[in-house]
Order: sequence, then structure tokens, then C-alpha cells
Amino acid sequence: MTQPAVGSLAGSLRVAITARDEERIATLAKLLRSFGHEVVDSGEDPDVMLADQHRPEEGRYPTLVLGGTDTDAEGLLPEDAAGAEIDAALRAVAHGLVVRSARVRATGFSAIQEAEARTLLTPREAQILDAIADGLTNKAIARRLGISLHTVKFHVESVFRKLGASTRTEAVAKAGERRRAETIDL
Amino acid sequence: MAQEPNLLGALSDLLVARFAAARDSVAALRLSERAHLGAILWRHDALVTSQQSLPDGDTLEAVLPDGSRVPGKLAGRDPATNVAVIRLDTAARAPTLTASTAQVGSLVIAAGSDGGGRPSARLGMVNAVGPEWHSMRGGRIEARIQLDLTLAASEEGGPAFDTAGGWLGMTTFGPRGQILVIPAATVERIAPALLTGGRVPRGWLGVALRPVAVPDELRETAGEVTGLMVMSLSPGGPAAKAGLVPGDIILSVDGTSARRLRNVLAHLGGDSVGKSVSLRLIRGGAVVPVEVTITERPEA
Repeated sequence: MTQPAVGSLAGSLRVAITARDEERIATLAKLLRSFGHEVVDSGEDPDVMLADQHRPEEGRYPTLVLGGTDTDAEGLLPEDAAGAEIDAALRAVAHGLVVRSARVRATGFSAIQEAEARTLLTPREAQILDAIADGLTNKAIARRLGISLHTVKFHVESVFRKLGASTRTEAVAKAGERRRAETIDL
Repeated sequence: MAQEPNLLGALSDLLVARFAAARDSVAALRLSERAHLGAILWRHDALVTSQQSLPDGDTLEAVLPDGSRVPGKLAGRDPATNVAVIRLDTAARAPTLTASTAQVGSLVIAAGSDGGGRPSARLGMVNAVGPEWHSMRGGRIEARIQLDLTLAASEEGGPAFDTAGGWLGMTTFGPRGQILVIPAATVERIAPALLTGGRVPRGWLGVALRPVAVPDELRETAGEVTGLMVMSLSPGGPAAKAGLVPGDIILSVDGTSARRLRNVLAHLGGDSVGKSVSLRLIRGGAVVPVEVTITERPEA
């Protein structure tokens, strides 16, 4: 059986950096070396390029872009992406995969979200969900909130239905996504 | 046999002519040696571009329609409507922009720049036109115009035109790769305020809110099935001063239901600053009224 391509994602890469200034280049270079990569010049046939904001014009190498909205780039992460995210994305991009951060995907100038009444949680349901996120069992939730186990089960069921979730993990993930989309500063 | 008229050629020639006529408003902003962003030469002394893609910084180099490079300064940026204005240090030749409104199904030409003064063109269709809408950041946009065309990142912020050469507005990226147009009417309302005052005044309550369902047992008293729950307060902000606390659920603002966020936003326009509004809240199981004096939203 042939080795899947991702099996080789673990190796060291030759990365060329283009960034806005020397300081930024130095920061990124240090980060890359800490993950075992080699920093090379763009003329030295790198495996992958790491760029700020925009794909560089000599963009014939797979490129990971940090920040900006360059949707043509193979990889696109937020400007403040963590080192581990940059490392993972570089490895993926170098192997011909396209990488987008879930955070980047949410950007773009968008309309205010008018929530549907029947899918909104009540404050009590939100409390229950917070407790689920803390890893509490139904029994522990009942104790924390001073309500009966029966009532907790009733609320949990309602939370799952409103969020369209079938597991506790899924409910927590969906609620977090929704909270980010629906919270508004006025 | 009579020769078939070359209708496609005629269409193509018309597009070329229309694009050439529109060129005098197609500009760009150089972001680095290699990167640039689309822009509209909106007046002889000012460019308009897409706020969300404009990096931080006060001085910029503009590329004018004739290819010349002119330094400019950021006059102001309005995240709520995604409009940013750059004042040019040297006056350019005034463009001939005639605002027009979008029709669904009509052809549209979007323009960008290669960053060196040569224009780039995109042809597509007006995919959808909707009524006035509010952005996530609370700004009012005169119409929702969605285009069916491809746009490079470096072309965002440029002008879009109809086939008569009418200026529809500024192109921008919406959610999930949608290409939106900030209508000319919105640009014409926001850009002058940015150019003269550097900002667009907006009302501010100083609260982070999220919609919640009103608990069953309170629905009758509240007269609402949903409300906006206070998640956090800006210290010293209007809501904090009025005594709002996290967990309060706003039901209405001056008698307007808070069920729709856009209704609440309508109370927070530029003319609301200094005014007092009456909020109906659920607090601790009871419905209480609270007066809040709106102040101007501080700069982000």
C-alpha cells in the first residue's frame, strides 16, 4: 500500500519569507526555525513561501499568507495566527493542500445577523450549556444550579434541539460559533 | 447572401468604449512594493477604498488613473459602512462619476488597477439587489447589491459601473467570497463626513449584546419572545452609567421592540448623540424601565 501524502507532512521545509519589514522577517524566521524549518531566499527554490498580507509577485511557489484577504493564496491565516497554526498550515500548503482558518472564513463585510426566535436559548439554557462546556454531568449541573435532575434533562434536550446538535461536544461547538456571530457591540 | 452582423464584436466594442470612459476614476493604493488595493478617484482631491482591506497607517501612496503616483493621507475610515477616504496631497484631474442604481440581471463592469496605472476589467451581472441593510458593525447601507463576477484581492475597493457608464458604487468582499457593492449613495453620504471630520458620528450604548429567548414564565409580562441580553459593559459607558448589569435583557428601546437588531440600530444614528432613550429590561424576573443617555461611539 502506498504511503498517504500526509505521512510526509512531518519533515523539515525550506521556507522563503516576504514580510513588511526586517523585524517581522526576523520574528517569522525565528518561529520557523523553532519548528525545525530552514529559512531560504525566494531565489533558492523554496518548498513554500510565507508572506504578509499578500502573495508576493514571484508567486510560483505554494504560499501561506498571514492577514489580508488574498483569497487566491493556497494558505490564508489571520495575521495573529499562532506558531503551531503557521507550522501546520505551511506543511499542508507545501504538500499541495489549501488551508483556510475558520476565523478567516468568517471575515468579509457582512450583514447583521437577525436571529430566529425559535432557535434562541433562554438565559437558563445558556447557563446549562456553559456547565456542559465545563465538562459537568447532568447530575453535577443539577447540583451547581440547585435544580432537579429532571429539569436539567429537560433543558439539555431543548438546548440540543435549538442548536441542532446530537452530542454535548457538538452543542458546545455550535453555541460558541453562534455566540461569535450573534454578539454585537452597541 | 448578406453578411451576418457581428453582434458579439459590437458588444465587445461597446464594453471597451464604456470601460475607457470610466477609466478616469480607477485608482489604486500601493500597500507595499508588490501589493496594492483598488480605489476610486472620488473627487479631484480624494480617493475612496474598502476599509476592511486597508492596513493601518496614515500615509499612503496613491496610483492615479494616468499612472502617476501621489502621496496621500488617510482622512478617515468607517468600519460600519466599510468606506475609507484618502486625501491626496496633490490634486488630480476630477473624475466624471455619475451615480446610478443597480438593476438585477443587468451587466456590470468592475474596474481594478494593476498598481502601475494600467486598469483591469471584470464583466459580470448584478446578481441580486435588496433593500437597505445594516452591517455587523452597525452601519446602514442604502441597498444590498451582489455581483456575479470574479474579483482579485487587489481589485477590491474599485468602482463598479452599469452599461450606461453609471457608477453603482465600490466593490468589496462580503461573507463567503460574495462580491458586494457599497452603493454610490452610501459612499456619497459617508465619504464627505470622513473627509471633513475624519469620522462618522454614531450613537453608543457601550454594551455587548446577544439575542436570547425570553423565559416562558416571563413572556406575558414582557410582551416579547426574544430580547437582547447584556453580556458585558464598557466601563464608564452610557449603559454602565445608567446602571445596566450583565444578564439584563433589553426588550425595547423607546417603545420599539428589540426583536430586530436593525430596529435598535435605527435609534443609534448620528443624530442620537446626547439624547436620552428609555429601555425596557428584564432584570431579576421583573420588567423595569431604565433611562440611558446616548453618547458618541468612541473610535475603534
